[in-house]
Amino acid sequence: MASGQLVLTVLMGVFLVGVAAFLSRVEDWRSYTPLASGGGGGYGEAGAHVHREKPAGITRWLTTVDHKDIGILYGTYGVIAFAVGGLMAFLIRLQLVAPTGAVVGNEFYNAILTSHGITMLFLFGTPIIAAFSNYFIPLLIGADDMAFPRINAIAFWLLPPGALLIWAGFFLPGMSGAQTAWTMYTPLSVEQTNVGVDLMLLGLHLTGVSATMGAINFIATIFTERDDDVTWANLDIFSWTILTQSALILFAFPLLGSAIVMLLLDRNLATTFYAVGEGGGPMLWQHLFWFFGHPEVYILVLPPMGLVSYILPRFSGRKLFGFKFVVYSTLAIGVLSFGVWAHHMFTTGIDPRLRASFMAVSLAIAIPSAVKTFNWITTMWNGKVRLTTPMLFCIGFISNFILGGVTGVFLASVPVDQVLHDTYYVVGHFHYIVMGAIGFAIFAGVYFWFPIFTGRMYQRTLGKWHFWLSMIGTNVTFFAMLFLGYLGMPRRYATYDFNSAIAPLDMVTLMHQAASAGAILLLIGQLIFVWNILQSWLEAPKLEDADPWDLKETDQHGREFQWHERRTATALADGGEEEEAVTDGGEVVDDDADDTSDD
Amino acid sequence: MADSVEASDAVHDRDEHHERSRWPVIGAAGAAALYVGVALVFVSESVPMVPTALGLAVAVAGTVGLVVGLLGWTDEAFLDGYLARGVTDYPTDDANRIKYRATMVVFLATDLATFAAGFVYYFFVRAGTWPPAELPHLLTSLVAVNTLVLLASSVTLHYAHHALHEGERRRFETLLGVTLLAGVLFVAGQAYEYFTFVVEEGFTLTDGVFASAFYGLTGLHGLHVSLGVVLLGLLAVRARRGHFGPERDTAVVTVSLYWHFVDAVWVFLVVVLYVGASV
Repeated sequence: MASGQLVLTVLMGVFLVGVAAFLSRVEDWRSYTPLASGGGGGYGEAGAHVHREKPAGITRWLTTVDHKDIGILYGTYGVIAFAVGGLMAFLIRLQLVAPTGAVVGNEFYNAILTSHGITMLFLFGTPIIAAFSNYFIPLLIGADDMAFPRINAIAFWLLPPGALLIWAGFFLPGMSGAQTAWTMYTPLSVEQTNVGVDLMLLGLHLTGVSATMGAINFIATIFTERDDDVTWANLDIFSWTILTQSALILFAFPLLGSAIVMLLLDRNLATTFYAVGEGGGPMLWQHLFWFFGHPEVYILVLPPMGLVSYILPRFSGRKLFGFKFVVYSTLAIGVLSFGVWAHHMFTTGIDPRLRASFMAVSLAIAIPSAVKTFNWITTMWNGKVRLTTPMLFCIGFISNFILGGVTGVFLASVPVDQVLHDTYYVVGHFHYIVMGAIGFAIFAGVYFWFPIFTGRMYQRTLGKWHFWLSMIGTNVTFFAMLFLGYLGMPRRYATYDFNSAIAPLDMVTLMHQAASAGAILLLIGQLIFVWNILQSWLEAPKLEDADPWDLKETDQHGREFQWHERRTATALADGGEEEEAVTDGGEVVDDDADDTSDD
Repeated sequence: MADSVEASDAVHDRDEHHERSRWPVIGAAGAAALYVGVALVFVSESVPMVPTALGLAVAVAGTVGLVVGLLGWTDEAFLDGYLARGVTDYPTDDANRIKYRATMVVFLATDLATFAAGFVYYFFVRAGTWPPAELPHLLTSLVAVNTLVLLASSVTLHYAHHALHEGERRRFETLLGVTLLAGVLFVAGQAYEYFTFVVEEGFTLTDGVFASAFYGLTGLHGLHVSLGVVLLGLLAVRARRGHFGPERDTAVVTVSLYWHFVDAVWVFLVVVLYVGASV
């Protein structure tokens, strides 16, 4: 217990020092981009110029409403949360190498288990997707900015306090991290006296408000800010998935918000919303939570699917096969996602007729998902495949998505779920999706657009290392978990020193150790990733070529790279004077344009 | 200042590349302090070192910060610096009208989900043994009057908008004022109902299954009406100062949508919660 907290404290300390060091050089860091370069060739004046336009250092970031800046803020935030959640996951895997638990006490284990889930889903998953959508949706649809740039900014600035509240239980004296698991099932979450639970719920509510504001903004942007020549017929696939995702957020997150407020009232003001017996009881919480929770899965996976659908054709030398059907399947998943929530509750004793209908809808989701998968495969079929790092991650996405998806089909059928419910099979299944698919698509996006973010290129060898370590690590870790599920290992347990008459303890231990070995590969891979991104951003030579992926050859030079090309050309031509890059629609798009507003 | 560069370019010479604003971060800091304040109140329940008053003070300060942030933002983004500079020179026709109206509709969709969770709870318990305990006297003349007042306010707001379209400013202002008054009356009626329930009948938030549903849903709705009253008040002030015209009615349209929505929720609430609990 104590040693575990010590380990985490040290890790957090190192991490915070890293953040501080990073922030202190934010200004320099930004000025490495071509437009803001302080030296070299044709950019001589650009550095000084930009500093006049945007206030230096931290103020510039606090007051920005530029969608690209906010995208970078979201991205930074997401990567930090990924690091925190990842270290928690690593501690979990460290704990489970021995049946009696290796490093931390049971309560602390419960706390990091809870925070790992909450952090990855709410503080990493949703924000990192918002990083891409903020940066690229306005570019892809030919808008000047988001429909409401200030809502965009406030939505981001609600996230850091949300994260601090969620993690507060760990570092405030007299309390500990919530031990409710990310599902926060009642009555456990009502009866736990730890104030850390209240803080986490408040933080979750705040991040939910943020996500909802973002979703409203994206819907307004995609509906009303499109350039004249961007129609519904030629809207890109990433924007389609963000639109669908935002529509899901509209209904899912506010409902969770209300459910959380009711839980807070039950905990603190003696209401009876989830009271056992008289009130709504544990089933009410599960219904409300999963009515949010299952769409949340698609909130997290649809935009990554959009990223893959966008990037994969560009390295296959072909257009996305069956574009329309990929859009239709996105919409179909969006609609169906609200009709499947009770498949999380098959073993709670709900009416068998309900179970059957929810099973039918859950299985039906396999159809649009398979449509997408086959379309990705047929896009590559006979294509001129180039195995760049983003492409490798796209292919890895498909492979992992198939494994995660097929195990999901098994879990969706009632009889199988009766056996595998609450085992590591479930954990393996959804980690194939959230790490193997969602995480991989995020990496693909980071590598693919790295030249746009930074004007530089990442280090290709390190990118490949990152991919192979992640791919092997993911499959070792999570395949072992599928096995553990078959062996009957229950999820969430801090120790598993059970009687070997129940299950072969040796085998269970071995599988846990395999999963932990995979986690080491994953950790090394992600360290390489962070190193590669930071070092390349700071020190890689500037990219002269505005079309680094040779997308023009296959006529797939998207609007975002066209914008990048104009920006690069402008920077080279006249050292970054404002207001000269002009879009097809004739509007000024230069990101460093003048700001003479009265504020 | 319109949020869209395109729209503002049409009507202003000034460069309107708003890439900077301090209001979002101020508003967010206010919201954060509000949440932290509430958190401190919860903490004070178990940690004697932290006084409850501190939590409340932080929460109030946070609310002030949030309101300041939102006001500054509204002024900058929608009123073109009216509060700051005292001049109105915004466009005579609202290029952004569709955008704002659509956004309000989308927001109301999220609000529907917010209310839904509470109603789902109520349906859950209503489907069980009923009544769960002795219910307070729900169907009073007060509820009937309140409902009529709120319904009437939707009608007056609708005709206020009509009057604005026909260029009859005086009638617009009068009807808007009547709507505002009706909103205030409704809130007062709700407060009086709470007073009779809590003080005279001893029916409080902690009085069991129905109390949770009743105070949860009417409380959430009451907050919505109160916000609506504030919005109507802002409309009324701006109407007095001549901010609106037949073609300049975006704020009137969006506040109307909100007000009609809150009204519709009330009708549903009366039917299922007041009548539904008693029959």
